[in-house]
Amino acid sequence: MSRTVTIEPVTRIEGHARITLQLGDSGQVEDAKFHLTQFRGFEKFCEGRPYREMPALTARTCGICPVSHIIASNKACDHLLSVSIPPTAEKLRRIMNLAQLTQSHALSFFHLSSPDLLMGWDADPVSRNIFGVMRQHPDLAKDGIRLRQIGQTIIETLGGKKIHPTWVVPGGVSEPLTQEKRDAILKLLPEALEIAKRTYAFFKTLVPKFKDEADHFGTMPTLFLSLVTPKGNLEHYDGVLRVKDAQGNILEDMVPPWEYERLIGEAVEDFSYMKFPYYKAQGYPKGIYRVGPLARLNNANACGTPYADVALAEFHMLQDSAPVASSFHYHYARLVEIIYAIEMMERLLNDPTILDSRVRARARSNRYEGIGVAEAPRGTLMHHYRIDDDGLITWVDLIIATGHNNLAMNQSIRQVADTYVDGNNLQEGMLNRVEAVIRCYDPCLSCASHAFGQMPLSIELKDPAGHVVDTLKRG
Amino acid sequence: MKTLIVGYGSPIRGDDALGPLAADRLAALDLGDGIEVASRHVLTAEMVADLADKALVIFLDAAVDIAPGEVRCQALEPDEHAVSTMAHFLDPRELLAWCETLYQRVPETYLVTGGGDSFDYASYELTPAAEQAIERMLACVGRLLEQGRAASHGQISSSGSHLRA
Repeated sequence: MSRTVTIEPVTRIEGHARITLQLGDSGQVEDAKFHLTQFRGFEKFCEGRPYREMPALTARTCGICPVSHIIASNKACDHLLSVSIPPTAEKLRRIMNLAQLTQSHALSFFHLSSPDLLMGWDADPVSRNIFGVMRQHPDLAKDGIRLRQIGQTIIETLGGKKIHPTWVVPGGVSEPLTQEKRDAILKLLPEALEIAKRTYAFFKTLVPKFKDEADHFGTMPTLFLSLVTPKGNLEHYDGVLRVKDAQGNILEDMVPPWEYERLIGEAVEDFSYMKFPYYKAQGYPKGIYRVGPLARLNNANACGTPYADVALAEFHMLQDSAPVASSFHYHYARLVEIIYAIEMMERLLNDPTILDSRVRARARSNRYEGIGVAEAPRGTLMHHYRIDDDGLITWVDLIIATGHNNLAMNQSIRQVADTYVDGNNLQEGMLNRVEAVIRCYDPCLSCASHAFGQMPLSIELKDPAGHVVDTLKRG
Repeated sequence: MKTLIVGYGSPIRGDDALGPLAADRLAALDLGDGIEVASRHVLTAEMVADLADKALVIFLDAAVDIAPGEVRCQALEPDEHAVSTMAHFLDPRELLAWCETLYQRVPETYLVTGGGDSFDYASYELTPAAEQAIERMLACVGRLLEQGRAASHGQISSSGSHLRA
């Protein structure tokens, strides 16, 4: 008799979701699904609002990565204004985006994933949490806090607020950077780089212990989507879209972000509120792709900063050839990106034009449709608006990093469940691995559903007729 | 006495903004040396470093479990199990537990909550009940600061107590 296992809630992720594992008569996994159970409808209730409100409104999609929404939304507004923002404004926006990436990746690695990485997936869940990490590895926990603090301080120094800064505006930024602020930020970066480098060095010593997880945590042939610079290097703010396949062939390149609809379609399924984006040329659901740190590093020819380029070379050595296929290596990629972000912030702050006072282009709306694309910590973030003659929003589409990864997350769960879950002898460690593969993607479900409300995530066990016979709930 | 006042909540969810708005009003006042005031959307992990060197911490938040306009003041203790439903932000008691575990010290801490009436999306104004609450919250913070000053001068015990405004 087949059964369904429910994991609810999935822990140490942002938001609420449920995983169901359908087991066959002999206890083997027959199907696995990741259900996003929140609904908010941001795209709908933004309709009728003035487009200039969109950065502030969409930033509230998430209390965690608002800077990413602020950047993408303001880029969409720049497009509506039909302006090219001043070069210094672009550099300043880049710094804020990189500070956001630093603090977000730090949280993912140090606080959400480190309990599994340091204590093991089968450790007692009573101690396999952040408090266990703080007791056993207090210096590492403090490093994580300090790195987040530095990232947030940079955001606050630039934007006046840590969480929802209003400094980035359509056309650029509202105020130039002062020398005092530049010096204050620069002073923080050597410490941040030291933390990033020693954490990276430490994690490299752990990686060989996780060969099994690297082989089975979402290790699958998919496409990779990200922005790259016009030279094909790592990019987080602007650039062009690139799609690479599992063999390393570039399928799409130099695609202007406003042509994203040519590449990406969005499907819906009745078991989740999260949309299922796919690569149109390969159709749904075959056109599965991944975004985020793993995809960015797989797509980039180089980082363009000294230490990050060394780390990128080591990242590529994780696998014999072709793009790195394992989603487990999102953790590795995050640490490489933290190094890059700190190095790049330092470079931008030392740019001779960074204190220039011309930081904002002013205009009215000059087109009816605007598209803004940037790389959020979790992957490519797309804001697409249409407005009327009065500048009021008539239609919105938000494609969020976690949404892009939806098909991949579902496939990853299936792979982990096939490998580790024995329906006749369910163990907590098995189910923790199913959750852990989701954590590799560091999903932000608040963003992905544009959702509100709280519905915890669970694992369900169903019989062949679809009846729930067992449920594991947490929280 | 090194003091941190943190108001938190969403500024676009009507009365949920009680905490940050109360903090903003306090920040505009001359509260004296050693008192920092911050407005936050949520409480996040790195704030533990801000708590570690404080003698007194006051959190300001909106509440749905008291009548609109009412204010509650309660002393908080560290609690590892007061885990937020979201991974990326923390319950204040959990934040205190982080502080205790990492830095082996916990500031005297209070949570001042004001009862809200409406938490609608894309709502930028407080209801009349919340406006009443915010005044009471400010008065409550004033009393806690006075109590803290007195305690630091050895005049009264500063042990945690539950107050009702």
